[in-house]
Amino acid sequence: MSDKLKEIINKQNAKNEESLVQSDDVVQLVGFIIGEEEYAVPILAIQEIIKPFPWTRVPQVPKYVVGVFNMRGAVIPLIDLRLKFGLSPKKQGDETRFIVLRHGDDIAGFIIDRLTMAIRIKKKDIGPAPDTISGDDTVIDGVGKQEDRIITILKVNKLLERDF
Amino acid sequence: MDEFQEILQDFLVESFELIEQLDQDLVELESRPEDLELLNGIFRVAHTVKGASSFLNFDVLTHLTHHMEDVLNKARHGELLITPDIMDVILESIDLMKQLLFTIRDTSADAGVDVAECVSKLDKCVGGTGEVETPVAQETTPAEEVASEPESSEDDLDYENMDADDLEAEIERLLQERQNEDKAKREAKIAAGESVPSLDPTPETEEEAPQEPTPEPVAPTPVPAAPTQPTEDVKAAAPAKKAQVVEQTIRVDVKRLDHLMNLIGELVLAKNRLIKINEDVEERYEGEEFLEELTQVVSIVSLVTTDLQIAVMKTRMLPIGKVFNKFPRMIRDLNRELNKKIELELYGEDTELDKSIVEEVGDPLVHIIRNSCDHGIELPAVRQEEGKNETGTIKLKAYNEGNQIVIQIDDDGKGLDPEMLKTKCIEKGLITAKEADNMSDKEAFALIFKPGFSTAAAVTNVSGRGVGMDVVKTNIEKVNGIIDIDSEFGVGTSIKLKIPLTLAIIQALLVGVQEEHYAIPLASVLETVRISKDEIYTVEGRSVMRLREDVLSLVHIGDIFEVERILDSSEHAYVVVLGLGTSKLGLIVDTLVGQEEIVIKSLGDYLKGIDGVAGATIRGDGGVTLIVDVLALMDIAKHVKATAIIDSSSDAALLTQEKMKASDYTIMVVDDSQTDRMIMRKALEPLGVTLVEASDGQEALSILKQGDHHFDAMLIDVEMPRMDGYSLAKEIKKYNRYKNLPLIAVTSRTGKSDRMRGVESGMVEYITKPYSSDYLSSVVQRNVNFKSEFL
Repeated sequence: MSDKLKEIINKQNAKNEESLVQSDDVVQLVGFIIGEEEYAVPILAIQEIIKPFPWTRVPQVPKYVVGVFNMRGAVIPLIDLRLKFGLSPKKQGDETRFIVLRHGDDIAGFIIDRLTMAIRIKKKDIGPAPDTISGDDTVIDGVGKQEDRIITILKVNKLLERDF
Repeated sequence: MDEFQEILQDFLVESFELIEQLDQDLVELESRPEDLELLNGIFRVAHTVKGASSFLNFDVLTHLTHHMEDVLNKARHGELLITPDIMDVILESIDLMKQLLFTIRDTSADAGVDVAECVSKLDKCVGGTGEVETPVAQETTPAEEVASEPESSEDDLDYENMDADDLEAEIERLLQERQNEDKAKREAKIAAGESVPSLDPTPETEEEAPQEPTPEPVAPTPVPAAPTQPTEDVKAAAPAKKAQVVEQTIRVDVKRLDHLMNLIGELVLAKNRLIKINEDVEERYEGEEFLEELTQVVSIVSLVTTDLQIAVMKTRMLPIGKVFNKFPRMIRDLNRELNKKIELELYGEDTELDKSIVEEVGDPLVHIIRNSCDHGIELPAVRQEEGKNETGTIKLKAYNEGNQIVIQIDDDGKGLDPEMLKTKCIEKGLITAKEADNMSDKEAFALIFKPGFSTAAAVTNVSGRGVGMDVVKTNIEKVNGIIDIDSEFGVGTSIKLKIPLTLAIIQALLVGVQEEHYAIPLASVLETVRISKDEIYTVEGRSVMRLREDVLSLVHIGDIFEVERILDSSEHAYVVVLGLGTSKLGLIVDTLVGQEEIVIKSLGDYLKGIDGVAGATIRGDGGVTLIVDVLALMDIAKHVKATAIIDSSSDAALLTQEKMKASDYTIMVVDDSQTDRMIMRKALEPLGVTLVEASDGQEALSILKQGDHHFDAMLIDVEMPRMDGYSLAKEIKKYNRYKNLPLIAVTSRTGKSDRMRGVESGMVEYITKPYSSDYLSSVVQRNVNFKSEFL
């Protein structure tokens, strides 16, 4: 039993070292689902992830800007990524979360369908966005490939850019 | 002399601030050279520094900034691309500007040791700019710049090649020359009987300045100016120091005051929240003893908070005189420069307002007054021809008006010609001919605030670049102020700046429309009126009502903020009469919620510039409420067409679907007792209907609002925590779409009054506990028109 334990500990240590060595080439992301797709944003851009709470509608903005909400005294815009990505609106459920993203002084909350997990991905496993949608205007930063799935990595500064 | 010191101090503080900003902006500009907004901002800073330094007679600085301005102006008009090389020079010139300012600061308080150094630095700077400007100018616009610049650069090179001794000698010579000149002039003046303040020589140099560059190019001009300035200042400063008395004041860093103000803001929010909680507690524990104590404490806290807020606000108050004081001098100098006779009259210098606002209005006033002098007041000869007093008058007044301070600048000059303004704007492509046709005179006057607009034919030291009035608008808008401009052609112009006393905390009227709340600044609310819907008339597609003798045009707040009409509208509505300047507007709202102190928070960059919304505030319950921008609202109201206020009761949600099977019937069970819910479930399960459970009124309401289910009936317990059955029923009946939803009370209260309350709140059936399951089932079946074939 103790042998087995040791083995496991050794393995873990080895893994840790491995990841330490590679930390330069590894990107840490947080993955989430919108509609059918999995998306991710860099973990450092995330200010916090919170459960939904009430917001106030704001007039004269596109449908996907659902309003503003109070986060500990700051008034922050709330954007529904489903609507922004052209999907049909969906009722918020138990798994719905607000991800608050920050880039410089820009800050906004984004409604996502559900979180998946924190992802470590090697830089070499991230491919560019498909040619048809690449360019400065796209919100897609790149496409991360993992064994069984493909994750679309989003540009935080583009998400926070006002486009209306 | 004290006055001069004060102005100088202000100028230094302001300039350092501006330069700090400039550094950041320029660096940003290098990465985004095509950003016009940024360029405009930088240009405005240079312009402002130049303006201020020119009337303080810092010729060296004026000269330097003037050239910077030229470069930036070119860039702004797209004639010059900011390359790293040019940026180096601009940054270098800013460094020089800084050193120059430090020198001014030090020498005016101390002995003028640094003068020679300052002069040589200036030489370098002018040389630097000249050298780089020349090739660039050749590339892009070979005409004007080349003509003047090479001369100066040549000359500067000379200076650079000189060794220190020669330079010293040259400076000495020029200095001597200038001083003699000054002396001669002053004597001549004294002879002429004019009173000559000791600082007089400096304006003379200003007069000389334009002439010198031709025979004896640019660089030398400022040379005499710099030495004269500090030496004079030293004289000025010395007696001032002696005169100082011990004052009962402490200097406090503004940052600390700002921090204090922020904390007060948070405190006000917390206070609002406390009051709200207190109200809730009062409702629930009516008559309990501790309640009185709580209420007392809450009212003390709220009182003290309000006092504290006023006290802190007062510490930040400064008399507007601080800004006004520099204008007499400016007018005097402008008189000489423009060969005009202008008198300045000041009123209400004691009027106090927030420090941050005092700072913001300084620049705009400089620009407005310079503009009045340059474009408004005519030359003495012209005035005489027109039968006016030879001397023009500019009146600068400050006074309080409600929660606002009004700064009024009146001149008796030639006034604005709306047609000419429109033509100019069309020429410059700022507006289209069609827009011009639809403009009222007042709107045409406002054109002078457009960026890039200038009526002056030539760019002078005073104005004509088309940025000044733009600065006015930007700064005044920054402090939520309003500019009101009025003019009569040939008679004069009157500009009113209406500025709120403080920025952070205001009194607001909270109004409700459907389920939303909005805050309207109380300063703009004249009165509120309750009207019935048939008092609203429609004239040419607009809603109006009679308010005493007047006809008031109306607009529904829901039409402006695109509010969805989900609630049943009552027969009555409230009209909030808004007043701003001379215009009035009636805003129809559903409910008046009350008056509250609110802390203004910005919506941030992402949502800025939403028409009609001035910001947001956080309410006692933690929710966000939008603040109405009354000025914008009045604008929007012009274009909103009246929708029928009596809304049709056709609601799409009322469409009931054909029931195909028993489970198509959905019934909500609302009871706080798990057991009771179980009993009801047991009674209804045999029917095969879908059941949804909620444990109190609030939960029930939110399930209903989510709209996941289409309910055919609700079983409601009367006594529940958070929201009881009666309140729930009342809330539900507010919605159009639930008008016909059967609500069945299930309760152990059997009193007659209880039943009456049930009926009043909109319940259709009243089942008393205990009941048999068959009875419950049959009541439900009856109310949902349960099809017998499903049994």
